[in-house]
Amino acid sequence: KESVMDDLSEENTFSVDEVSQIIKEGVETCIGTSQFQQNKVNQWTSSIIEHCLNQLTKLGKPFKYVANCVIMQKNGAGLHTASSCYWDNQTDGSCTIKWENKTMHVIVTVFGLAI
Amino acid sequence: AGMDNLEATDESSFSVDEVSNIIKESVEDVIGTAHYSHNKVGQWTSSVIEQCVNQLTRLGKPFKYIVTCLVMQKNGAGLNTASSCYWDSQTDGSCIIKWENKSMYVIVSVFGLAV
Repeated sequence: KESVMDDLSEENTFSVDEVSQIIKEGVETCIGTSQFQQNKVNQWTSSIIEHCLNQLTKLGKPFKYVANCVIMQKNGAGLHTASSCYWDNQTDGSCTIKWENKTMHVIVTVFGLAI
Repeated sequence: AGMDNLEATDESSFSVDEVSNIIKESVEDVIGTAHYSHNKVGQWTSSVIEQCVNQLTRLGKPFKYIVTCLVMQKNGAGLNTASSCYWDSQTDGSCIIKWENKSMYVIVSVFGLAV
């Protein structure tokens, strides 16, 4: 596929720093110091993702986004996640933030794929 | 933007069934009845993902792919994952498979975004 994206200016590339800020803000705002609670977890993952997607679309860049959020209670269990992407190395990118408080681990990943 | 030619034939749309089979085969092949092992987990997630990406690219469809794999030990901890996508709903799709054996949970997601 011929890519018509000759113009790799800042507006058209995935900015890990910008996205990283967006994710951290999202998690701090939605969870902060809350204690893990079974009945709130759904709400939290949804809010974090909604916040991320809203802020990302506001950047106005020509990208499709996939945002993923995992919340796990701190209970001694082992958790391992990995991801692989078949994309365009020059324009696409991802950002994964691992965050935690006293009772839970939160992992948020955002993938940005140029249109 | 700019996608006037939306002839969604089998060759160019995301097939949940096909992808679902690819994922299930990968997990069965790589993990099967194995017992959760901290030092093998990294290898497992990589292999599952590698197998998925290989099979997906063999389909020869005009898509970019994002594959994620999560393995969690069965230990009583609560886990919640969510994802949201900003994409073209007519051509793009995702497939998420939740799998388990006696000692672990495995969640594999594949997102396919039309080029």
